[in-house]
Amino acid sequence: MIPKKDGHEKVEPQHPAKKPKDKKQIKAVPPNKKIKSDNKNVTGYLFISPFIIGFLSLTLFPILYSLYLSFTDFDLMGTPNWIGFENYERMFTNDPTFWQAMKVTFFYAGIAVPVRLVFALLVALALNKVVEMVGLYRTLLYLPSVVGGSIAVSIMWRQLFGDDGAFNSILATLGLPTHSWLGDPDTAIWTLIVLYGWQFGSSMLIFLAGLRNIPKTFYEASSVDGAGPLRQFFIITIPLLTPVILFNTIMQVIQGFMAFTPSFVVTNGGPVDSTLLYVLYMYRRAFEYFDMGYASAMAWVMLIIIAIFTALIFKSSEHWVHYESDAK
Amino acid sequence: MKKKFWAISLAAIMLISILTACSDSDGASGDSEEEDGVTTLNMSWWGSQSRHDQTQEIIKKFEEENPDIKIESEFTGFDGYFEKMAASASGNNLPDIMQQNFGEYLNQYADKELLADLTEFVDDGTIDVEGVDDTIMESGVKNDKLLGIPTGTNALTAFYNKDMTDEAGVDISDGEWSWEDYEEYTTEISEATGEYGARLMEPQNLFEYYLREKGEKLFNEDGTALGYDDDQLLVDYFERNLELKESEAVPGYDTIQQIKGVEDELIARGEAAFDFRWSNQATALDSAADGKPLEMTMLPGSNNDQGMYLKPAMLWSVAENSEHKEEAAKFIDFFVNNVEVYEIGGSDRGVPIKEDIRDELSADLSETDQKVFDYIEMVTENSSPIDSNFPPQSSEVLGELQKIDERVMYGELSAEEGAEQFRSTVESILAR
Repeated sequence: MIPKKDGHEKVEPQHPAKKPKDKKQIKAVPPNKKIKSDNKNVTGYLFISPFIIGFLSLTLFPILYSLYLSFTDFDLMGTPNWIGFENYERMFTNDPTFWQAMKVTFFYAGIAVPVRLVFALLVALALNKVVEMVGLYRTLLYLPSVVGGSIAVSIMWRQLFGDDGAFNSILATLGLPTHSWLGDPDTAIWTLIVLYGWQFGSSMLIFLAGLRNIPKTFYEASSVDGAGPLRQFFIITIPLLTPVILFNTIMQVIQGFMAFTPSFVVTNGGPVDSTLLYVLYMYRRAFEYFDMGYASAMAWVMLIIIAIFTALIFKSSEHWVHYESDAK
Repeated sequence: MKKKFWAISLAAIMLISILTACSDSDGASGDSEEEDGVTTLNMSWWGSQSRHDQTQEIIKKFEEENPDIKIESEFTGFDGYFEKMAASASGNNLPDIMQQNFGEYLNQYADKELLADLTEFVDDGTIDVEGVDDTIMESGVKNDKLLGIPTGTNALTAFYNKDMTDEAGVDISDGEWSWEDYEEYTTEISEATGEYGARLMEPQNLFEYYLREKGEKLFNEDGTALGYDDDQLLVDYFERNLELKESEAVPGYDTIQQIKGVEDELIARGEAAFDFRWSNQATALDSAADGKPLEMTMLPGSNNDQGMYLKPAMLWSVAENSEHKEEAAKFIDFFVNNVEVYEIGGSDRGVPIKEDIRDELSADLSETDQKVFDYIEMVTENSSPIDSNFPPQSSEVLGELQKIDERVMYGELSAEEGAEQFRSTVESILAR
C-alpha cells in the first residue's frame, strides 16, 4: 500500500492539494499499479460474478431486448422490423380486448389484494394469540401458499367450483340453489379472487413476525390505563405494524397485477373474457398470435403501471407509516 | 502478484466452464451427425400419448429398414408445439421433419420460406405419391411449392348417438338433411330423451362450413378481407344456435366451458345426440363412449356436398434449413407407402392418402377405423376442394369469432350486433 501513495505523488506533483477527488484519475495513469490497487475489487467481483453474469445475460439483456422488440413487429419467426410506436398506438386506440384485460386486472387486483391482506392480518392476529401447537397451525395455514401458485391448486379450484363440483354439492345438500360459478361471466372472476385471498400464507407469516415484534409492555401499560382489546388494536397494533403493512401491500400489488396461472388454468380467460387477466392476454398475443412485438409493448405498459402504483404507495407511506425510530 | 494470479486463473476457470457448458448443449441439440455414415435426423410432432408411442414404433420400423438413418424425436401436446417451433425457426433450427398443420400455420411458414419444396423429391420418385387424389396433394401446395405431404385425410363429421336418434324416430344415416331438419331433429330428440339434442356448435370450424354450404367463403381470394358480403349469413348462424339454446335443446357455454377434452364430450357421456367435429377424433370418442352406438354422417345442409371438404389431418414438412432433405423425404415416403405405419397408428393421423394402402388395410380394421374409412369414402364422393386462403392472422380472426359467439349466446350482444362487430373487428385485424 505504501508504494502506491508514492506513485501518486510522483505522477501528479502539481496538484498536491486535491486529494480524494482526483484519486481515480491518478490511479488510472500507471497501468501496472492500477491492477494491484483494484485487486480487492476484482476478487469481490469474481465472487459475485455468477450472479452478475446471470443478471446481465438472463435478466437485463432480455429486459432491454423486450424494450427494443416493443418497437418492432417481431413475430417470433421473421426478423424484427422497426415500426416505432405503432404497437403502443394500436394498444391504446384500436384494441378493445386490451382495455377489457385492463379492466379485469384492475378489478381483480383492486379487490383480491385487500382481501388477501385483511385475511392474512386476521389470521396472523389469531395465531398470535394461540399458545399451544403454534408450529402446527402455522404450517397448516401456510400450506395453501406453498402449493398455491401451482397448476394443481388451480385445477382443484376448477373442480371445486365446477357445475358438479364440491361447492355446488354442499349448496345442494343445504337446500340452497346451485350456480354455474365458472360459467357465469358475473361470478367467474370472483372464484379467482377467492383463490387469491385463500393463498394468504406468506403475507400472514410476515404479519405474524411483525406482531411478535411489538413489545408486550405496550399492551400491559395500556390495559392498566383501561384500554380494551379493540382500542389496543387501533392505537398499538396497527400503528406499530404499518411498516409491515407497507411491505406486504407493495409485494401483493405487484403480484396481483402479474397474476397469470389462475385465469390461465381455471377459466382460460372465459367466459366472454370476464377473467382475461392482463398477463394472460399478453401471453396469448405472444404465443398464440405470434405477436411478440405487441406483447413486449404490453409488458412495458404493465411495468410502468406497476411502477406508478408502487411509487404512489411509497409516497403515501409518509403519511401513514409509523417507524419507531422516528418517534425517538 | 499472487492475488493477481488467483484472480486470473479463477476467471479463466469460469470462462472455460461457461464455454464448455455452452458447447456441450450445442453438441446435444445439433450437428454431431455422420459418424460411421449414419445420418441423424431431427423430427417433431404434437399429439397425445398414444400418438407418441405409435410414432416411436413407426420410427423404429423405419430405422430397421434404413440402418444408415437415425431419427431423434421430440414431441409435445398441441399446446406449446407451435410456440416451440416458432422459437426454433427464429434460431434457424427447425427439425428436419416436422409435423405441420394445414391452414394459417402452413401459410405462415410458406410466407417466411421456412419449408423445403418437396416437388423434386416427388418428381425423382423419392416420395412416391402415385395415384393420390390431386385435391389431397393440393392441400400441401402453397405459393406453387409443395411444402407438405398429407399424413392422412380428415373431414368434418356429424357424430350421432344412434340409440337417441332411434328413440326420437329420426334417421340421418344417408347424410341428407337440411339445416331446418337439424333444428327440428335436435328439438325432437331433446324432447324425446330429456337430454340435449346436440352439442352447441363450435364456431371456429363450423361457421366456415356453414358459409361454404351457402356457396360463400370465410376469406376472400387473397386472404385480405372476409369472403362473404352479407352479414345476414352470420346472423342466421347465430340465431339458429340461439333458438336451440333458448329452448334448451342445446347447452350454453356455461356447460360447454367445463368439458375437459374430447373424452369428456357430451356425446361420449350420452348427454347429447349430435356432435360435429373432425373424423380422426372418432377413436377417442368411441373409446370414451363406453359402447354407445356412435355413428358418422355428413353435416346438415341441402348443399352439403358443396360445404364438405377433405382436409389433411396434418402434413409432413421438411425444413428449408435441413441439411438432410433427401433422408427426410425418405422417411415421408416410408410413412405414406408402408402399410405397417397404419397398422400401428390406425386412423390417428387421418385416413391413408393412398388407395392401395386403404385396400390393404381394410381386411383387418377395427370397427371404429372401418367406420372412419367408410365415412371418408362417402365424403370423397360428396365434397368440394378445401379453401386454403387463410391469412396469417386467421387464428386471431377465429378467436374473435369464438368470443363473439360466446357473447351472443350469453345474450350480451344481439345476433345482428355480433355479426356487425365481427366484420369490423376482422377488418381492423386484417388491415394491420
